Amino acid sequence: MIVPRRVALRSLFTVAVAAFTGGALARIATTPPARPDPRVDRSGDFPADLFDEMYGGRRIQARTTPAGVPEVRVDGRPLHLMRCADGGYLTPIDHYQTCPTPLAATRAAVDELGSAPLSRFAAAHGAGPGGSPRGLHT
Amino acid sequence: MVYTRKNQRDLTSAERRKFVSAVLELKRSGVYDEFVRTHIDYYVSDGDGEQRLAHMAPSFLPWHRKFLLEFERALRRIDPTVSVPYWDWTRDNTPAASLWSDDFMGGNGRRGDLQVMTGPFAYAGGRWTVKHNMTEGRFLTRDFGRPRAPITLPTKAQLDEVMRETVYDVAPWNSTSASGFRNRLEGWAPGRGNDRFRIHNRVHRWVGGLMLGGASVNDPVFWLHHSFVDLLWSRWQQRNPRAGYLPAQPPPLGDSQYGRIAARDEQMEPWGVTPAQMLDHSAIYRYV
Repeated sequence: MIVPRRVALRSLFTVAVAAFTGGALARIATTPPARPDPRVDRSGDFPADLFDEMYGGRRIQARTTPAGVPEVRVDGRPLHLMRCADGGYLTPIDHYQTCPTPLAATRAAVDELGSAPLSRFAAAHGAGPGGSPRGLHT
Repeated sequence: MVYTRKNQRDLTSAERRKFVSAVLELKRSGVYDEFVRTHIDYYVSDGDGEQRLAHMAPSFLPWHRKFLLEFERALRRIDPTVSVPYWDWTRDNTPAASLWSDDFMGGNGRRGDLQVMTGPFAYAGGRWTVKHNMTEGRFLTRDFGRPRAPITLPTKAQLDEVMRETVYDVAPWNSTSASGFRNRLEGWAPGRGNDRFRIHNRVHRWVGGLMLGGASVNDPVFWLHHSFVDLLWSRWQQRNPRAGYLPAQPPPLGDSQYGRIAARDEQMEPWGVTPAQMLDHSAIYRYV
């Protein structure tokens, strides 16, 4: 039941914001639906609308960004999800396997992750020619 | 003066020692980690509309040829007698191979955290702390044969089949190219289970640990693997002297690959060399 869950998560998020920042509450009231600024790491407030589960001892979550792109967190840290020409996804943890869904790619990454937390490279990955690393959290 | 790249199994113990020493010195100086970073920065997949040079693209082979040459040049500034040996994984295809001995690459990762505990690149030795990684892990990891879903290294027969391709690469010039030497050697394939991982990709998966991700250069066996991939391209070029690098011309405006891949005479970052300039290595090194 995706829609009720999404509504519930959004309500939780609003409550959390209201509890801590009155200014943000006013902004949310005038610009629904509320979405966190994607440049700010609010891992505690991540409004997962694609999946949110425990896998391999890790909390894995994903949401759809305003641009329609899936965005993944592992234990609150961003994991770069790359699209492949075959329609699948891969991650910087497991580069040689394209997976059919964001969930499958995230689980495949957790399978190979070991015990360490993700680093900033897992989010800001693939700078391309002459650029600094891309990604939401540089 | 043309130098040689040898099969790692044929190195003398002195040659093994010199190679390891040069790699450790490159690491100590900080230069090694620049190579790690370059590989991380150039890993772009083929479904996001960006330019791809290092993987899932025709320039997979010339980009890595140049990458290896730059690494080898850095090693040879430390020790001019050193070159990058190659690992023929169709032959040395078990964890018992001398490749993984304590005086060379070291062995498999231990159970649990997959940490490599033996050889010169073990974290406890103090000379191989991973700097650029996809996790905050600071030690080299390996997971030979992927015990969770066991996989074997590519066989000679599988490799021979790829070597029989007669065209360098075909449209759409990415991981879905159904034929062509480049994509079949790189090893992207449809299907299920371990059958999806072929040749070059399969070796990364067999070693496992850091070799599986964007920071694979942290495992020095990366260079021995890619030296063999480069040898295979070199032999394929000799067998197919009229089969040049493709595409010769950039894909036209409107093509899905327009602006996304390097045609024969287009420059590859970060070095500014073209695939055409990387086709003939005979004046620099040869394989024995």
